Amino acid sequence: MMLLKHSGFLPFLALSLSAPVFGQGQIAALDFAGRTGQPAGIDLSGAWFPNPGQDSGLITASGALVEYGGIPMNEAGRLYALAWSAARIQGRQHQCMGYVPPYTYNQPGHLRFWEERDPFTQRLLAIKMYWQISEGLRTIWMDDRPHPPAYAQHSWAGFATAKYEGNTLTVSTTHLKRGWIRANGIPQSDEATVSEHFIRHGDRITYLAVVNDPVYLTEPFSRTYTLLRNAREPDNWLYACDDGEQILNRKEDQVEAYAWGQHPFLREFADKHQIPLLGALGGAETMYPEFAAKMKDSAAMERAIKAELTPSSGPPHASRALDPDPQDGEIHVLPVQGNLYMLVGDGGNIAVQVGEQGALVVDTGAGKLSEKVIAAIRKLSEKPVQFIVNSSYHADRTGGNGKLRAAGFDPSVVGSFFSGQFADAGQGATIIAQQNVQNRMQSMKTEAQGWPSDTFLKARRRKFHNGEAVEILYQPNAMTDGDSIVHFRRSDVIATGDIFSTTSYPSIDVKAGGSIQGEIEALNTILERTVYQHDEEGGTLIIPGHGRVCDEWEVAEYRDMLVIIRDRARVLIDRGATLQQVKAQRITADYDDRFGANSGSWTTDMFVEAVYTSLKNPPKTGGRG
Amino acid sequence: MSYTLRMGKRPAHFVFSVSLALLITGNAYPQGRGGAPDTPRTARAAAYYDITGYWVSVVTEDWRLRMVTPPKGDYTGISLNPEGRKIADAWDPAKDEAAAEQCRSYGAPRIMQVPGRLHIAWQDDQTLKIETDAGKQTRMLFFGAARGQGGGWQGHSKASWELTIGSRGTAPVASLKVVTTNLKPGYLRKNGVPYSSNAVLTEYLDRVNEPNSDAYLVVTTTVEDPTYLNQPFLTASHYKKQASDSGWNPTACAAR
Repeated sequence: MMLLKHSGFLPFLALSLSAPVFGQGQIAALDFAGRTGQPAGIDLSGAWFPNPGQDSGLITASGALVEYGGIPMNEAGRLYALAWSAARIQGRQHQCMGYVPPYTYNQPGHLRFWEERDPFTQRLLAIKMYWQISEGLRTIWMDDRPHPPAYAQHSWAGFATAKYEGNTLTVSTTHLKRGWIRANGIPQSDEATVSEHFIRHGDRITYLAVVNDPVYLTEPFSRTYTLLRNAREPDNWLYACDDGEQILNRKEDQVEAYAWGQHPFLREFADKHQIPLLGALGGAETMYPEFAAKMKDSAAMERAIKAELTPSSGPPHASRALDPDPQDGEIHVLPVQGNLYMLVGDGGNIAVQVGEQGALVVDTGAGKLSEKVIAAIRKLSEKPVQFIVNSSYHADRTGGNGKLRAAGFDPSVVGSFFSGQFADAGQGATIIAQQNVQNRMQSMKTEAQGWPSDTFLKARRRKFHNGEAVEILYQPNAMTDGDSIVHFRRSDVIATGDIFSTTSYPSIDVKAGGSIQGEIEALNTILERTVYQHDEEGGTLIIPGHGRVCDEWEVAEYRDMLVIIRDRARVLIDRGATLQQVKAQRITADYDDRFGANSGSWTTDMFVEAVYTSLKNPPKTGGRG
Repeated sequence: MSYTLRMGKRPAHFVFSVSLALLITGNAYPQGRGGAPDTPRTARAAAYYDITGYWVSVVTEDWRLRMVTPPKGDYTGISLNPEGRKIADAWDPAKDEAAAEQCRSYGAPRIMQVPGRLHIAWQDDQTLKIETDAGKQTRMLFFGAARGQGGGWQGHSKASWELTIGSRGTAPVASLKVVTTNLKPGYLRKNGVPYSSNAVLTEYLDRVNEPNSDAYLVVTTTVEDPTYLNQPFLTASHYKKQASDSGWNPTACAAR
């Protein structure tokens, strides 16, 4: 509009356009001061709503139970969906679950797109998208910025960058939370990446999304949506959600799940719509024309169904997830929130709290890169490390204790009454841990320099350090008999140690007092302390023992998984199953493609054995102190 | 603020419209750098993107309505008027077979939704040909002057590159637009949901490319039919590019 106000510009424009201008040579002639230097693209700005005429049965975003046709699910994806009970969404952490793309375009609500431009250069910085359902806010960066590292936090909207290609806006999205492909239980994993193409035709956008999910799909899942321009401002943009007490007295370790092969509504959708069940069960072949002919042989289809309903035989699948640790011999520093940073690279995550006092460090990694860890901490704080908290005795938590302690200094005991009681007072940082950590390290005869020097027995050890309350909370019989989590209350960050990981099943050390039940209770302790900012996102952030920064959603998902696996094992144990029989049932089959391993220090077999053993012989515990 | 101009529409601002009219009445086809041809290029030479080759439908939208024949009376998502519902409710595939009209659900308004493969090629410099293995149908998309009358299952299709032009002289972008009329009455769904000879089908055929070199043909469809529909029927579907004719399996129309 501004251009048209300058009358002197118009003759120039007219002359310029009167020649054929589509060749690139002419385009260059039109270049003038004020161009953004970016390729021009279609403008998607405005209010939009999904076309109700296509996939109208899915516009409520759910679909029927066991309506999976046309989705290239792998075995894990199908088993996940077949185990999913709609009762699960009554759980506190599931009531306000957000929407991930492309699933969000199934919503019946409004969408608003707009541009954000640099106020001085008018360069297009980002395209913003807001969707009414779940009040999702998405930023699609147009400035060629790189995507964050794999150990950075994920979100419902993900991290998106885009470019114009002809008449299409092509968007690439990573860092998505685990969401739905369809909210009838078909999962889209947190390893999924999504490619999207927005094509505008007047008051209509045709949108093609391609989901690449190595965990739950055998091949990319592509589908189109149609968005229609809303000529009138809809004036209803909110979607209030606050989780409530839907079922009183519901236990925190209750997660509803159907046993495989016993889904009570298995044939409901197929029968209602006269579809062979094998088609309704989905899979890549159901996307292609040949499947239409195959469905005509109903007898053959019925014979094939059984294999789709339970795990196949054979060894557990290994994880298809990418390792978020760069494994490049370097220490990588990620600002988390408030005073907290996460250090990645030395075999286990290290949480570092900085402030006016010396740094407080939760865990010290495997100890192979301790010098680099110390150097990284020095860049964050001029003061030496004052406190080290160990979340357990395991080597990936304590391996760098000796070197970090030696590089640190705790001025709080020098010159006090304590300095006379401890020969090493003030000689390095103070190492804090639950008493059993010290006991086990001493009995293992690890380097004495790395032993905890300040131990506790009660449920809570507290400190006020670097301007905030720090609570060290004992979690009995979780991974071991000496685990702790650390809650930085002002920064609103919890360092969990190995109680929570985004890379593997929990390495429950049964011989050291760990148990599946204690692990679940520890995860629920974390969830008792978290508060999300909006719809299961943000708020309290979590630094896991391994993997990426998270919030309560991922912890709840992990808890749900362990409860489901525990319950499957318990049913089999109650029927008298041996460990080998439990393993043969592949009770982790819907999660193995995400967390499983057949080699390395912690395999799926070892995990199942830990679950089985700790259920058969629960540890005798003194409780939470 | 930018102006978007669609061919055949009048911009709001008079002076600006003169400028853009000059622009679009000139040679609007892509040219080589510095090129200034005197004669208009053919549709084939002017193509903004290439959709020729073999494509396989990826049936992920409206799966239950496309992959199997829906039950009679299931017209979910289509705003049929009473006359349309009356016909849909009377669907009898045996009658269609007896009348040798098994191809009623393979007409242009639905053929791009039918699970199957496409073979797209330039018939000549001004005509794109789309062959389907499902139902063995052939669509001819005519650029420029009208040819043929239609009247069959595939009607008469007029094709053009619809340009979207930025106000700052930036390169235009284009979609392949196809408008099909003169259709023989048929079905929007295999279960007898009707369209009439008055139906007008407007399609856009866009190609998008994935980073892994997969290519998709995205079909945007609008069916307007005052005889049987209360409002336009909008769908989108897509095809994935194939490297060869693998899977090409011509099959006759089936009424059920």
